[in-house]
This record gives sequence, C-alpha cells and structure tokens, in this order.
Amino acid sequence: MLSRGVKRKLEDDEEIMAAETSGAFDSSSSLPYPQQRQLVLNMCLSKLQSCHMKVEPSLHRSVLLANTLRQIQEEMRQEGGESTLAAIYDGSSCTYNGGNPPATPAHNPELHSLLLESPVYPNNSSVTDNTMSSSVSAILREAGFVEDVNPAPACLGCSDSEELCFSSSPSYENDGDEQPVDSRSSDSLFGSFEISNSTSYLTDLALDDIFEDIDTSMYDSSDFSTVMSFPVPRSPVSSSEDTMKSFPTCISPSSNGIQICITDLNDLDHIMEILVGS
Amino acid sequence: IPPEGIHLLQQQHTDIISTVEFNHTGELLATGDKGGRVVIFQREQESKNQPHRRGEYNVYSTFQSHEPEFDYLKSLEIEEKINKIRWLPQQNAAYFLLSTNDKTVKLWKVSERGRRPEGYNLKDDDGRIRDPSTITMLRVPVLQPMDLMVEATPRRVFSNAHTYHINSISVNSDYETYMSADDLRINLWNLEITNRSFNIVDIKPANMEELTEVITAAEFHPNQCNTFVYSSSKGTIRLCDMRAAALCDKHSKFFEEPEDPSNRSFFSEIISSISDVKFSHSGRYMMTRDYLTVKVWDLNMESRPLETYQVHDYLRSKLCSLYENDCIFDKFECVWNGSDSVIMTGSYNNFFRMFDRNTKRDVTLEASRENSKPRAILKPRKVCVGGKRRKDEISVDSLDFSKKILHSAWHPSENIIAVAATNNLYIFQDKVN
Repeated sequence: MLSRGVKRKLEDDEEIMAAETSGAFDSSSSLPYPQQRQLVLNMCLSKLQSCHMKVEPSLHRSVLLANTLRQIQEEMRQEGGESTLAAIYDGSSCTYNGGNPPATPAHNPELHSLLLESPVYPNNSSVTDNTMSSSVSAILREAGFVEDVNPAPACLGCSDSEELCFSSSPSYENDGDEQPVDSRSSDSLFGSFEISNSTSYLTDLALDDIFEDIDTSMYDSSDFSTVMSFPVPRSPVSSSEDTMKSFPTCISPSSNGIQICITDLNDLDHIMEILVGS
Repeated sequence: IPPEGIHLLQQQHTDIISTVEFNHTGELLATGDKGGRVVIFQREQESKNQPHRRGEYNVYSTFQSHEPEFDYLKSLEIEEKINKIRWLPQQNAAYFLLSTNDKTVKLWKVSERGRRPEGYNLKDDDGRIRDPSTITMLRVPVLQPMDLMVEATPRRVFSNAHTYHINSISVNSDYETYMSADDLRINLWNLEITNRSFNIVDIKPANMEELTEVITAAEFHPNQCNTFVYSSSKGTIRLCDMRAAALCDKHSKFFEEPEDPSNRSFFSEIISSISDVKFSHSGRYMMTRDYLTVKVWDLNMESRPLETYQVHDYLRSKLCSLYENDCIFDKFECVWNGSDSVIMTGSYNNFFRMFDRNTKRDVTLEASRENSKPRAILKPRKVCVGGKRRKDEISVDSLDFSKKILHSAWHPSENIIAVAATNNLYIFQDKVN
C-alpha cells in the first residue's frame, strides 16, 4: 500500500489504438462484426482505465462506458457459450471476491497488449466467461465498500492508487500487504464518487472517541498524503448533526469523516508497524 | 425563419463559456465560464439620438462566482466551472441569479449604486471624522448622484448537499424554492435557507455495481409548481408530482421512445442519453436533446415524441470516431423561442441549427469571426453528406469537432439569440426592416 509501483504506460497503447481505430469502421463496416466489437471493447476499457485526472471523473460518462462494456460482454457470452471468450483479461487477475488474494499489478501491463493482440476467435479459450464477468464486476464494484484516498481513482492496474477496500465481509485485505492491490485499485469506477456510508456500525462511533489517543505529528504528510488528513470543516456549518442525519441523502462530510478515520486508524497501525520496523 | 440577421456583439471571454442565460425580461444576459466567472451584459436602452445602437448588449457586471476547491476526502479538485446560471424573477431594483458549479449553488445579488449620501455631520465626505469642536450646526445628508457602480454580492451559499456533480438547477414558479440535480439525486431548496435541503429524487442503487442510469437534466414546470421533469442517460424522461410523495421516486409520467431496431449499434445507448430538457413557455410541451436529434414531446403523450428533428444525422456513420475522441459524450443544450414556434440547438464546426415547428423548415448557421461582421447577415450553411460537394458546402470530414456550440439562449420575447462558441459569445438579432 505504501510502495509506489511503476505507473503503467497507457499513452503508447492509446496511440496504437488510435492508429487502429481512426476512421476504423465509420462508414459501413469494412471490418467484420466481431472485430468491430472487439475494437469498441478495447476503446471502452481503455477509456474506463484512464487515470490521468485530478478532477473527479464524470459519473455519466463512466456509466455509459460501463453499459457499453456490459452490452458487449453479454453479446459475447451469448454467442460464445462458456469457454469461448477471447483473452480479455489474464485469468489470474480476475478473482476479486472478498478474501481472495488479489493479483499483483504485474499482470496488468500485459492487459492492454492482450487486448490488442487477441481478436475474438471462438477457439481461444484461455479465459472463461466467469473471469470476464468478474472483471467487469470488479470495475463496477460498489462505491460504498471502497474508500478512495488517493488521486487517480478508477484505475485498473494503476499502481499509484493507494485505495483501501472494505470487502463485503469487512476483512482488511491489506494487512501485511505492501503492494498496491488490484482489487482495490481496480474497483469501482464508481468508487471514487462516494465516501463509504454503507457500514453502519461506523456511524455509531463518536468522532471524539476515535481521535483522542492518536498522535499524528510524526507522520510526514508528503508520504502519506490524504491518508492522514482529516476532514476539512466545511462552511456554512450545519445546524446540528441530527439535522443532517434526518436527511440521509444529504451526505455530510462529518458523518463520512468518521468512516474515513476508521480507515485511517487501521492504516495507522500498519504504518506504525513499518515505521517501527517490525 | 427568424434571426439570420444582424450580428450585434461579439464579446471575447478569457475562458471557455459554460452557460448562457437571458433573464426574464431579456434586458440582461448572463454568461458563466470555466474559470468560475460570471459576466452579465445589459441591453442598451433605445435612444432617439443613436438609433443604430438599438439594443446592443454591453458588459454590465463581472464577478468571480466560484473558486476552485480541493476535496480533501477524495483528494480531487472541485472545478470552479459554472455549470448553470438561472435568473430569479425581478422583485425589486436588484437582480438575483443562481449560479452553480459541480458542488455548490450560490445566490448572487447584482445591484446598482448610483447615488451616495453626502453631508454627514460627524464625518466629512472623504470619511474622515470631523473634529467635534468644528461642528456648529446640524445638517441632513442629501443623496447626490455618483458614477454608476454595479456590485455583485453573494447572498446565499448552498453547499454540502451533493455527492455527485450538479448538472441542473431550476427555479420553481412559486419563486420560493428551487431544485438542484446531480447524477443521482435531486434536492429541493428554499431560497432563504442554506443549511437544509430536501431530497426529492434518489436513484442511487443500494449496490453501486448495479448502477446503469444517471440523471442528466431536470427542470421545474413553468407554471405548475408541483411538477418537474428529469431526464436520464438512457433516453427517458420522468415527470414527477411533488404532491404525491415526499420522495418522488415514483414518476407520474414516463416518456420514452421505443428504439428503432434498424438503427441499433454499440453506441445506441450513448447517443440516446438526453443532454438537456426544457419545458416550452406554455408548459404544454417539453423538448429533449440527445446526441443526434431534438425531440418535442406533448406532456399528455408518453409513448413517443410529437416531433423529431435531425440535428446532424450525417454523424451517425461517424459514431466510432466520435466515440474515440470523446465527442460522443458532448452535452448539447436546446432552447425555445419566446412563442415556442422555433427551437434551436448547437452542433460542431460552430454551427447551430434552428427548426421552425410550424413551417417545418430548418436552417444551419455559423457563429464564427470570419463570417460575422457587425451588421452582416448570416448566411445559411450546408453540410455535404456524400457525392459531389457544391461550392458553399462543407464536407463532413472537414468539420472541426473542437468547435462545438453547446450553450445558447433565446431572448424571452424578441428574436435575439446568444450563442457561445468556445470562448466567444455571439449575439444575433433579427433584421430590422
């Protein structure tokens, strides 16, 4: 979580794709349909994975891309049956269901070349239908279970993102794992959009109780950036937390801040371990 | 066909214009830009001395509405770009407008100061305190004229109510409330109260993984204060009645046109996403804009639109390129004229299109510096789709997709239009005979 992996070079791949797709099947398909579809799929994935942004990505755009992706996936699934999907993903990078060890980022640089190299042929059975759907699911993972603490959200394989993840059984997968983990970084597209508010037990804790014995003065903010930052009080200050809670969908930073701090607490432990060298 | 006419004003902004809106009388025109600034233009009063300057719009006020912010929780910047401006109807000498960026709505008061009191007793006109021993008599301060000063002050800041990006704001016809809509939720505000809003629409699924549809635009009905519509990325419009329930998740009417199977492609859903929805002034119809068409709906008929107008159908065969360069996600707006007889919307290459609903005629015009000299008459443009290109036509492949007209406005009663072409504002008026 703390080490910074090599940022995957998306630019080169994008150029290749652009060359391939410029004017590609604009006016009445010279390409056969499966290849058209593969092309669109490639572009879709590439757009979903682009992580060069400082501003929050557009949810509208992400949803449209995800729907297109799903549509193509569904079509492929219907056409090909169980084991005939092309190698969209390397098989080992795909199991994100809670508790399973996620793949290392090393797989993902190959991801893009796989996309380009393997066209959709029914005989290519290196990836099963299951992996395809679980990888799409991974991209669309529920925002509520994911904390996005770093710039570069929605990054499949973007190793810079140090996102933390609550899986549906809240086990903290990052214990002892220093690599930026795929299941978290590849999460939701939609994960960056909302601070978790689904784990209700967290909202019962009072803000003060969490903070009273934490001393963060020794942490260098440049290393840990926003992991350590506490919610900035916003103005105008709302009348009371009760008032805000009575409008559950008016998300107030103060109630979300509690959950962020719980996350931070576990990070703190982890970071302490590393600093102390144990 | 209305305005082809005289080009009144071309004002260069420093930044990309992101919204354009006339006020209810048409006297003022507000523009917002990517840098968070609002520029208000005022129409010059007609004067007999200078008849040729009839109705020109000049800068009235400029102010910084929103500043860039940083969301520490998500470690992302919040853009200061003004997404929408909506005017409040005028109730006194001051003007009020709502402006919003992705997260925060602000109510601004724009007022003039043309006089100041002079002749205070305790201080002189420069503001210096007078020596009490020099005061020998009392006088009443008198209001004296001064150079006109227009000042804009923020009167309300409505913040912290949107997790997602605000795409629309709409003032209710009751003039007491307004709504703000983001990708997944719509909130109702009282104009006086900033620390509380009511959520009236929430389409966020319990499991975000199941998210397939977002809200793209929303608007209150022009005369029924309980009615509003919101459009979605799947090409549907829902009309809701706030009297039915506190949370308007169940729509009263659902508008959707059945898909034409012959036009199906990978991009069908993306191009069906509605980028703008506007009620007609009469309140009887509404208009929606999706990527390739503008549709007019009768509020009484949910099954299909009343009228469909092709904006730039020649792009249908180019969808893959437009998808690749992201143009397919461009959000074009559409506007009605004052009498609801003509509708207008933008396109690429700085073209904009007008459709006359009665005569069924349409025209393509261009907003560009080369073609627009003051007082010049706009020439209709044509895009050549295939085959032999005629002299004045432009071929589809020569269109400049970086020059897009997303925002425009039509004067509420006259044939004056404001068109935003990137960072240039053009104002056109019907020829005066």
